[in-house]
Amino acid sequence: MKDKLNYSYYPGCSLHASAGEYDLSTRELFKRLSIGLTEVPDWFCCGATPAHNVDELLSLSLCAKNLELAEQVEGDLAVACAACFSRLKTTQHVLAESDVKRKQVEKAIDAPLKLDGKVKHLLEILARDLGLERLAASVTKPLAGLKVACYYGCLLTRPNDVPNLDCVEAPTIMEDVLKAVGAETVAWSHRMECCGANFTLSRPGVVIQLTNAILESAKEAGADCVMVACPLCHGNLDIRQKEIEGVYNVNYGLPVFYITQLVGLACGLSSDKLGLGALIVNPMPLLKEKQLL
Amino acid sequence: MIISQSTMDVDFVRKVEALSGTSVRRCFQCGKCSAGCPMATFMEHPPNRVVRLLQLGQWQRILAGRSIWYCASCETCSTRCPNKVHLASIMDALRKLSWDAEGPSKESYVQLANKLFLQNIRTYGRQYEMRLAAVFNVKSGQFLKDLMLGPKLISKGKLKMFHSKNKNMPEIEKIFTRIEEMRKKGEAL
Repeated sequence: MKDKLNYSYYPGCSLHASAGEYDLSTRELFKRLSIGLTEVPDWFCCGATPAHNVDELLSLSLCAKNLELAEQVEGDLAVACAACFSRLKTTQHVLAESDVKRKQVEKAIDAPLKLDGKVKHLLEILARDLGLERLAASVTKPLAGLKVACYYGCLLTRPNDVPNLDCVEAPTIMEDVLKAVGAETVAWSHRMECCGANFTLSRPGVVIQLTNAILESAKEAGADCVMVACPLCHGNLDIRQKEIEGVYNVNYGLPVFYITQLVGLACGLSSDKLGLGALIVNPMPLLKEKQLL
Repeated sequence: MIISQSTMDVDFVRKVEALSGTSVRRCFQCGKCSAGCPMATFMEHPPNRVVRLLQLGQWQRILAGRSIWYCASCETCSTRCPNKVHLASIMDALRKLSWDAEGPSKESYVQLANKLFLQNIRTYGRQYEMRLAAVFNVKSGQFLKDLMLGPKLISKGKLKMFHSKNKNMPEIEKIFTRIEEMRKKGEAL
């Protein structure tokens, strides 16, 4: 048995607001798996897409400062949101490559840069650090008969040089984790198509069109539900699903789970501890039908 | 005027290349970026044409258009380019240049959302989605936008009403001001 796994934790803004159930289920699952998780004190926004969209230096500086704050807590940095994950890893990569940008960022945050801290998405921690075997050994209630469409979205795997989570075009890490906890996964076309997250405020019409195609593809593939590892994907697929059904006059009724919710369910955590009640598309009928509650 | 490679504005292209850390000139127009772009249907110039217009010195048309603001930063183009042109970074650079010129672009909603997002970081340290959405609706004059989502989200505890204190607020403000100062002195683009 390896030593106990310990991580510093950067939840990101969404997990403290609209994606509270992702935060809750992450903490509960890690507790159940005996993985240590300590939140970085007074972390702040990574700048997400809007910052790098118009001001790369600001984006790099905000992320570099957060990486510095994370050094106060022992362990690799665990990140839940695909966008934060992408920004923090991109920052490490860009600053390691460019002396000019590195000097500018050091000046902006008024501190020397340390870029060797490891940044890991929760998926990597479950699939690789803990490992699929140990994960499977923690399962008390296999998700037998549940057909899941794993949705990667854009930023978990792309582009090529960072974040290096899995293959950029045909990743399997989500499916691997779900199979380890006994679920079935479906093959579908839109698992890596963008949901248009960045436009949810400014151009919701764009989001509705893109997200509809994703839900349609998952439904056609015979999925019972969708699983995501990003609060922004979740916002579009779950919160906007009813609206999309209205616009296109269809009925998807696809519950959208966070990875930590499905894995947590298999590890015997209760619906309350996983925040299942906070999901907008009610997952209870499906879970009862599959005898998973 | 006949546009060709010789009408390229080399100074502008160099600026884009410096900001983005990638080559504009290496693109040979295979169109793979546009083929995979989920946003191409919303753009007046799809991604490969944005690069071609840069190569032909037509950058004013890009900065004035919507295409750069309709890029979702999904990185599909950068991932698939056979010439390793990091097009998503070129889009960032073009948005910055358009943004700094105070928006000759017709696309104002995306810019407004970006502006409010960055202001939120400076003021509160983190994003508070409800505040962001409410201010966006007021400033864009769309008072009823997404109103139906509100009660549902509140009842599910998904909208936080108040922001929490962050002891790094002075540090965040310093990052913003130091960057502004560096730019004033010409030490950064």
